[in-house]
Amino acid sequence: MSGSPNTVKIAVKSFRVFQGKEDALRGITLEIAANRILGIIGPAGAGKTTFLRALNRLNDLTPDTHVEGQVLLDGADIYHPAFDVVALRKRVGMLFALPVALPMSIAENVAYGPRLSGLRKRARLEEIVERSLKAAFLWDEVKDRLQMSGLRLSGGQQQRLCLARVLAMEELEVILLDEPCSGLDPISTAKIEDALAVLKERYTIILVTNNTKQAARVADDTAFFLQGELIEHGLTAKLFTVPDDKRTNDYVTGRFG
Amino acid sequence: MRVPPKFTQSLAVLVLGAATLLTVVVLVFIIAFVLVKGLPGVTWEFLSSPPKDMGKAGGILPTLVGTVLLPLLAIAIALPLGVGTAVYLTEYTRENPLTRALRFGTDCLAGIPSIIFGLFGFIFFVVMLKMGWCLLSGALTLAIMVLPTIIRTSEEAIRSVPNAYREVSFSLGATRWETVLKVVLPNALPGIVTGVILGIGRSIGETAAVIFTAGSSLRMPLSVFDSVRTMSVHFYILAREGISNENAYATAAVLIISVVLVNLAAYSMMHRFIAKRSK
Repeated sequence: MSGSPNTVKIAVKSFRVFQGKEDALRGITLEIAANRILGIIGPAGAGKTTFLRALNRLNDLTPDTHVEGQVLLDGADIYHPAFDVVALRKRVGMLFALPVALPMSIAENVAYGPRLSGLRKRARLEEIVERSLKAAFLWDEVKDRLQMSGLRLSGGQQQRLCLARVLAMEELEVILLDEPCSGLDPISTAKIEDALAVLKERYTIILVTNNTKQAARVADDTAFFLQGELIEHGLTAKLFTVPDDKRTNDYVTGRFG
Repeated sequence: MRVPPKFTQSLAVLVLGAATLLTVVVLVFIIAFVLVKGLPGVTWEFLSSPPKDMGKAGGILPTLVGTVLLPLLAIAIALPLGVGTAVYLTEYTRENPLTRALRFGTDCLAGIPSIIFGLFGFIFFVVMLKMGWCLLSGALTLAIMVLPTIIRTSEEAIRSVPNAYREVSFSLGATRWETVLKVVLPNALPGIVTGVILGIGRSIGETAAVIFTAGSSLRMPLSVFDSVRTMSVHFYILAREGISNENAYATAAVLIISVVLVNLAAYSMMHRFIAKRSK
């Protein structure tokens, strides 16, 4: 929502994450531009998901985790003790690898965030539900059965329901996606990707994916992670054609990973 | 020499089948025995009139009322305490020596014979707090007695709620308390209800702890400070003092039927709730 293209939305500075004794992220420094899609690629265990979960402090919930360095959202350090975590998570929404519809109706799933923010007006909630489901390309499929349990939707529909639930948050500025299409068929995947292409006009999007082709398709910028380190970061077109680092080249050409 | 697997397999089926059969037969025999002996005495008049002559004649109305009120009050006290403790242990603390000690304590509490609770209730509520034999003393004692069951079943139920639900809730900006209220507890409800049913079952059937704390008055209770007699206590007194075997069996039959009804009601409520959420 805020900022013109190329303003920095999130600045990560010498950021490290320790889980127990092992260091999951070893000093990441990265600037994430507003209103663009950043793809994060890398083999399993590279720290992609840990990085993503650090951006809305979901790692706080994992026992024995601590962090060093800074993550600045619009210039404010989200790990500063005075920073309000609940407010942070409303601004930085997350879509998980497995679609998790909460066991409540479709409408209630979408309205979950706004209700937490204290919104009670029925008409306003209905409006948000409709707008969010449309933005997630799900409205046409569910508009006649909004009171049905979200659990009865198919996997692809549930993932779009989860996207709608994130989009329903009025404070939303950044969308984190953790391999959102890993369990989906090609058609559902295409629908999510179409939605992202539209959504980047309003939001900053960070997409972790195991599918390098997906990153090449939808990401404006791409970052390559390997064993907890950021190897290379730049325009997607460049990173996939003339990468600076040999390891990046090996990975994107399918020589390992 | 090796026993052929085919033989051990048949033997296992036989032994396991026999064990099941024996269990069912004993259970059915007890229930049938009580019902056959007791049901002829269960009439509308028996249910709706007060006892006469210490229970030798007349009905069981006050004890019926006592049997309904006492467990209800006990659960009303134990449920918030038990579920609150379970939520605290599972959601608000990580495993540490203190939670392990608490859990060990509740497990020990669950194994203590009910008469000890009765004695404690008598000394503490009836004598020390000068509450006397009354509905409230009995309910408080029963609440302490069923607390471990409710804590442990609720804990298991809360633990079985998928962590992914919690993560989704947190990621949408919910606080821990909002997550507990809107996601964890609704999904743990079936398990919590199971604990409540076990608790009700235990309190309805309880005799020792009740005689010591709620007393055995045959008058109709008018407030929580009146003494009551439950059906279990009534049955015990009728049978033990040889007052009336017929009325004792009739009381037992009513007791068994009430327990079945309570369980059916609780399960149907639970199923309706689950069906509503997954429709």
